[in-house]
Amino acid sequence: MMMWLHTLSALLPTFPFEWNYVRTIIEVSLYVSVTAVLISTLLSLPIALALGFTEFRGKRAMTAIITTGMGFPSVVVGLIVLFTVSNQGPLGSLNLVFTREAMILSQIVLAAPVITGVSLAAVSSIDQNVHDAAYVMGGTRLDVALVTIKEARYGIATAVLAGFGRAISEVGGVLIVGGNIAGPDGTSKTRTLTTAIQLEARQGQFELAMILGAILVVLVLVVNALVLRLGDDGDRGGVRGR
Amino acid sequence: MTGVITARDVTQCYDTDPVFEGVDLSVQSGEVVALIGPSGVGKTSLLRLLALFEPPSDGTITYDGVDVWAASESQRLTCRRRLGMVFQDQSLFDASVRRNVEYGVHVRKPWPERLRRNVADFFGSKNGTGPAVDALAVVELEDAIDRSADSLSGGEAQRIAFARALAYEPDVLILDEPTSDLDPRNTDLIEQAVLEASRRDIGIVMATHDMNQAKRIADRVGVLLDDGIIELGPTDQIFEHPRDDRTRQFIDGELIY
Amino acid sequence: MSIQRRTFLATLGGSVAASTAGCLGSFTDDTAEGAITGEELTLTTTTSTYDTGLLDEVNAPFQDRFGVTVDTVSQGTGAALQTARNGDSDVVMVHARSLEDEFISEGYGVNRRDLMFNDFVIVGSADDPAGIAGMEAATDALETIAETESMFISRGDNSGTHTKELGLWDAAGVEISSGGEWYLEAGQGMGEVLTQADQQGAYTLADRGTYLSMRSDIGLEILVEGPVEGGPEALMNPYGIVAVNPAVHENVSYDLAMAYIGFITGPVAQEIIEEHTVNGEQLFFPESLSENPNFDQYVPEGWRNEENDADE
Repeated sequence: MMMWLHTLSALLPTFPFEWNYVRTIIEVSLYVSVTAVLISTLLSLPIALALGFTEFRGKRAMTAIITTGMGFPSVVVGLIVLFTVSNQGPLGSLNLVFTREAMILSQIVLAAPVITGVSLAAVSSIDQNVHDAAYVMGGTRLDVALVTIKEARYGIATAVLAGFGRAISEVGGVLIVGGNIAGPDGTSKTRTLTTAIQLEARQGQFELAMILGAILVVLVLVVNALVLRLGDDGDRGGVRGR
Repeated sequence: MTGVITARDVTQCYDTDPVFEGVDLSVQSGEVVALIGPSGVGKTSLLRLLALFEPPSDGTITYDGVDVWAASESQRLTCRRRLGMVFQDQSLFDASVRRNVEYGVHVRKPWPERLRRNVADFFGSKNGTGPAVDALAVVELEDAIDRSADSLSGGEAQRIAFARALAYEPDVLILDEPTSDLDPRNTDLIEQAVLEASRRDIGIVMATHDMNQAKRIADRVGVLLDDGIIELGPTDQIFEHPRDDRTRQFIDGELIY
Repeated sequence: MSIQRRTFLATLGGSVAASTAGCLGSFTDDTAEGAITGEELTLTTTTSTYDTGLLDEVNAPFQDRFGVTVDTVSQGTGAALQTARNGDSDVVMVHARSLEDEFISEGYGVNRRDLMFNDFVIVGSADDPAGIAGMEAATDALETIAETESMFISRGDNSGTHTKELGLWDAAGVEISSGGEWYLEAGQGMGEVLTQADQQGAYTLADRGTYLSMRSDIGLEILVEGPVEGGPEALMNPYGIVAVNPAVHENVSYDLAMAYIGFITGPVAQEIIEEHTVNGEQLFFPESLSENPNFDQYVPEGWRNEENDADE
């Protein structure tokens, strides 16, 4: 997946800024956000399916919580995660402050409600007939859930992309729990595109900040295109029209 | 006489109002039972009980003598896997015809094989399974196997839905007004497919509002009216010599609902 | 020796990029490298030390010599000390003596050393609407800004610079809490505040280092010099370094923290500080090496005297 970075570096011999710095920042950004989104998706899909399929007391309240979570400010999430992973907090013994793992945690808290909320809408829009058909053909509950996921795949892909967009573009949370750390040789440890943009802007390096911003936008576009493309090919088996 | 599937003294209520009460219905292998009755009388509810979507409010449903809702979860799954159903409305998966028709066979396989199949499909393998091709032949759509479901006309989609139910060779087929929205040609193709299924010893229950269709293909007819099956008997008898006066009125179109 | 961080890194970066083959390879390499030595030191510090590129130059030889990765988190004096209070960092480098003393007095910090100093300057646009240019006393300048209600942008972020600024207003006898619209709190880092002051034609108090590193990008001028250029002692900006007390937070890497303090207050690092320049100007003045050490640097200011008072 990151081969193109190296290809790109070969194509840009006159790149005006230190490539190692930019490359490791991109890697950290992608590593943290992709991991967070994968974990969020694994957590969110079962919740969305459960909420979409079943009726129970407190379902409305849970839906309301998820909807609220979709717009939760990232700095607040960052603070809460910081208190949790801080040496004084409940996860203090794990020494997660200023690590990529803490950043992943913070982004999961940010992305999971978005993925759950949008997936829930997608899953709920699937016709009851489709569930019934899977059930009556001998499908178990798991089979019915899988069919629903397949039917809602475009909506779910949109959900995952929305979660990814929120994760990779937020700055407050990763700055607080990650600490925006890069080594003296410019190798990023917890510096992401967004925190680097903030830092470079603070230092008046507006040109580099703009380039990092452009990379961020391109990255989001590329990931969007890839995921939508995958959704198209994955289960499209048939030839349209005739 | 007990059949493959038997509903005995079945009552279904939504909230507290009974939709129908004390229904007895049994289907034998290879026979076609038509259920007629005005809309809103609970034909679909009865078919969904037979298809084991939910337990009846009262009474029992048995498959080959097994009381389904008293049985264990795995026994119930075994029973469920002996039936197929075609719905009134479009219910195909947004996938290829092949995947739709193979679905029933697919879910019956053990997981390792299913996963292998999914991987193979992802890389473009298109080996049709025998039952799928055969079922498509019954509805005369063998050529459609590689089309996508959303490219089908309404009639074709319903025929695929029928083939999909037939493909895993069930013992019972439950059809909920499968031809109500179809043109004569597609209706005829579905009816021929129903008769073919019955020749294969599949027991068939079909709700229909088309009296002529019932006359054409049913061995027996049940009349669902006024909270229950008021009359059930051989097709000729129901249409020619109904015992219940309400049956005669309904058939003659005198009952207005 | 005036290596610019960016050019230095550009050279280094090129070779690293060329030699890295795998996709995520560099990650695993990083982690593995860290795992071999198993040592990471977390330093919380102010934006001024980091943004000027000084720490990159000091930390590189430290990492080479000790095989220890220094994770530098640049926050601002208040936040840096608070992070250390929570036991989330091992060593703190800040520039607000009063806050450092508080930190030590509460038992969170031990072994404080004077590290280096530079000074603060009052900057503003060249047309100088309040007319403070060349004033001898910083307090006079601030008083004049207040009287003329000329716009002043404060860091407003509990940083060392903000702490110093509040102390100066206090000394000038200006009650800024009852100030008017001319006094703005940005709540941002030094770089942002300088950019804002530049755009709005406002005054601000800046550390000389950050100002110099940004001078080419902004139109602000020094109106009141600090002690480095013969200005008042009140604008002195001393940096201290403190280890987090391992008796309070047993998880901290105290030995590494002390190794770092030893290194940065030693001859090699002090020379790097001396020779670190941005745009040809020296930003920080080393203060650790002295034949007659100032014993006051190890304890809260005035601590010994209080004890003596109690004894008498």
